[in-house]
Amino acid sequence: MSLIKIVPLQFSRLEALEELLPLIGSRFKADILLSLHYLDMTQFFDPVRSQYNANEIIRELLPLAHAGDKVIGVTDLDLFIPVLSYIFGQAYLGGSAALVSGHRLENNRYGLADDPDLFRDRLLKSILHELGHTFKLRHCLQPGCIMVSSTYVEEIDQKSTLFCKPCRSELVEYRR
Amino acid sequence: MDQNLSILIVDDELSVRDSLSNWFIEDGYSVDTAEDAKVALKKIEAFHFHIILVDIKLPGIDGLELNRRIKAINEEIVVIMMTAFASVDSAVQALKDGAYDYVCKPFDPDSVSHLIRNASKHIHLNQENLSLQERIKTLINVEDIIGESQGILNVLEQVRVVAETDSTVIITGDSGTGKELIARAIHMNSPRRFFPMVAVHCGAIAENLMESELFGHERGAFTGAQYARKGKFEMADGATLFLDEISTISIKMQIELLRVLESKHYTRVGGNRELKSDFRVICATNRDLKSMVDAGEFREDLYYRLNVFTIDIPPLRERIEDIRLLSYHFVKLYAEQMNKPTKYIGKRALRALENYAFPGNVRELENLIERAIVIGNGETVRLKDLPLDQHAMRPTWESIDEMEHHHIESILEKYQWNISRSAKALGIDRVTLYSKIKKYKLVKPS
Repeated sequence: MSLIKIVPLQFSRLEALEELLPLIGSRFKADILLSLHYLDMTQFFDPVRSQYNANEIIRELLPLAHAGDKVIGVTDLDLFIPVLSYIFGQAYLGGSAALVSGHRLENNRYGLADDPDLFRDRLLKSILHELGHTFKLRHCLQPGCIMVSSTYVEEIDQKSTLFCKPCRSELVEYRR
Repeated sequence: MDQNLSILIVDDELSVRDSLSNWFIEDGYSVDTAEDAKVALKKIEAFHFHIILVDIKLPGIDGLELNRRIKAINEEIVVIMMTAFASVDSAVQALKDGAYDYVCKPFDPDSVSHLIRNASKHIHLNQENLSLQERIKTLINVEDIIGESQGILNVLEQVRVVAETDSTVIITGDSGTGKELIARAIHMNSPRRFFPMVAVHCGAIAENLMESELFGHERGAFTGAQYARKGKFEMADGATLFLDEISTISIKMQIELLRVLESKHYTRVGGNRELKSDFRVICATNRDLKSMVDAGEFREDLYYRLNVFTIDIPPLRERIEDIRLLSYHFVKLYAEQMNKPTKYIGKRALRALENYAFPGNVRELENLIERAIVIGNGETVRLKDLPLDQHAMRPTWESIDEMEHHHIESILEKYQWNISRSAKALGIDRVTLYSKIKKYKLVKPS
C-alpha cells in the first residue's frame, strides 16, 4: 500500500484537515500520514502579485516523497502559477507532489457567512482532485466527478467527492 | 476534454510554457512547446497542431508575424494570442490577421479554460458537418443509468431524441428516481458536452441567497466580498443549466428566471455590466407543475416556457426487473469503495428487495446496500443486513400456508434462530414451532 503524506504549510484549520484524512486514504486505498514539515513560505511570496508561487513550493515538497509515495501540501496562502491569476491547487500529472490552498475556498472571501462544513467539503474535493492528478488522472467531463476541472469555487461545489467509473478504473490501473 | 486535440504553446518564458503545458496536459490535450517563432515554425511544419497559443512579444520574429506565417501555412489552425495589458492593440491587430482570440496575461483560469473549450468546439464544427455527425447513434456516459425494464429503456430513448436538440426539458419523477442522472445523460450526449453541466438545487438554496447564486456578484458588491462570485447563469455559458426542484422557487424568482430565459441577458449583483449567457435548461421536479399552475403556485408563462419536452421516470416499484441489476451495481460500487469482499446478494435478501415498494426509489436502494456493506461480513449481503421498512413490503403470497411460511421464517431470522424467543414472539410453543419448521422445510443458515 502506498503512502500519502499531507503537509500543512501555514494552514490554520488543522482540525478540519484531520477529519478528512481517513476519507482521503480510503479513496486512494493508501496509508495517510499527517506530516509536519517547516518551510519558510516568505521565499515563495511575489510582492507584485501578493500571492505565493505554487510551482516553487511544489519543488520544495518533492524531496519529501519517497519512491511511490505522494505528498500534498495544504496552505491558507493565496497561490498562483506564472500564467494564471490564481489557482486552488497545483499538481503535475503522475508526479509525486501537489499543493492545495484553502484561501479561496472560504465562504467569507465572497462576502458570505463562514460555513466550516462547506469549507471542509471544498478542501476535501481540492485535495482529492490534485492527488488524482498525481495518480495520472486527467480532467474529466463526467458531471459530478471529482476530476472535473474547477476554475471557480462555485464549480467545486458542483462536484461530488467521488471519482466517476472511468476515473476509478484508471486509479485501479495505476495502482497495478 | 478533447484528447484528440493538440496544442502548441509559443512563449519565451520557461515558467509560462511549463505552467500552461501542465494545465493543458491535465485537461487531456496533447501539448508541445516552443521558445521562439523559429522553433515553432519547424514544429508546425512537422506536425499538425489544432490550437497554437502565441505570445505577442517573442525574440526575433514576433507573435504578430508568427500568426501571419501560421495562417499562410494552414488557415484552419486556431491561433490564440497571449498578451500583457499594455499590448492589447497588437492583439487586436492579430485578430484582424486571422487570430481566433486573445487573452491577457496572467489569465483568469476560467477565461482560458472557456476559450480553449470554445476553440475545440469551433474546430469540431469546422471538421464535421455538425447536423449529420452530431446525430446520436449510441448514447455515451450512461453507465450509471442501470436497468433493462421497458420503463427505463423508454426513458433512454427519449434522452437520445432530445439530447441532440437544444430544447428545454422537464424531467419528472418521484424523489430518488435519478432525475439528475437523466439530466447528465442528456447533457453528455448533446453538442454542449464540451462544457460542464451546472446544477442548481433550488430547494436547498435560501430565498435570500438565490439571487447571488444565479446571477453572481461583483467584487465588493457587499461587505466582505473580496472576490467576485460567478453565478450559475454565467457558469452555464455554452453549457447546460440543470434546475433541480424547480417547483420550490419563489414567485419573485420565477419572474426573474423567466426574464433571463427569454433574453439570456443578466447583470451580476452589485454590477452594471449586462452579461450574456448561452445555456440550455433542463429542470426536474417531483411535483405536478401543471396542477401548481392551476393552484396559482407556479407562473403559467414560465411553465409553458419550460415545458417543451417532458421525460417521466417511472418509480422503482414499477420496474421490479431492474432491482436485481441495480442491487448488484451498488454492491460492486460500495464494496470497491470500502475495500470489502462483498460480491453477492443472498437469495432471500434479493427476494425481499424485489418485494419491497421502495418509497425512496433508487436512492433508498442505494442507501440500503451501502449500509448492508458497512455492517455486513463476508461475501454475501444477507436479509438481516437490510433494514427494510415492513410497512413497505409487498406481500406476494396468496395462501395462508405461504403467509405462515414467510412469517415464521422472518421471525426465526429476526431472533437468529433462537427457538424459545421465536416461539414466544409467534405465540406458539416450541414443539409447534419445530413441527412448522419441519413442515415448511426451513433450514438454519450456516
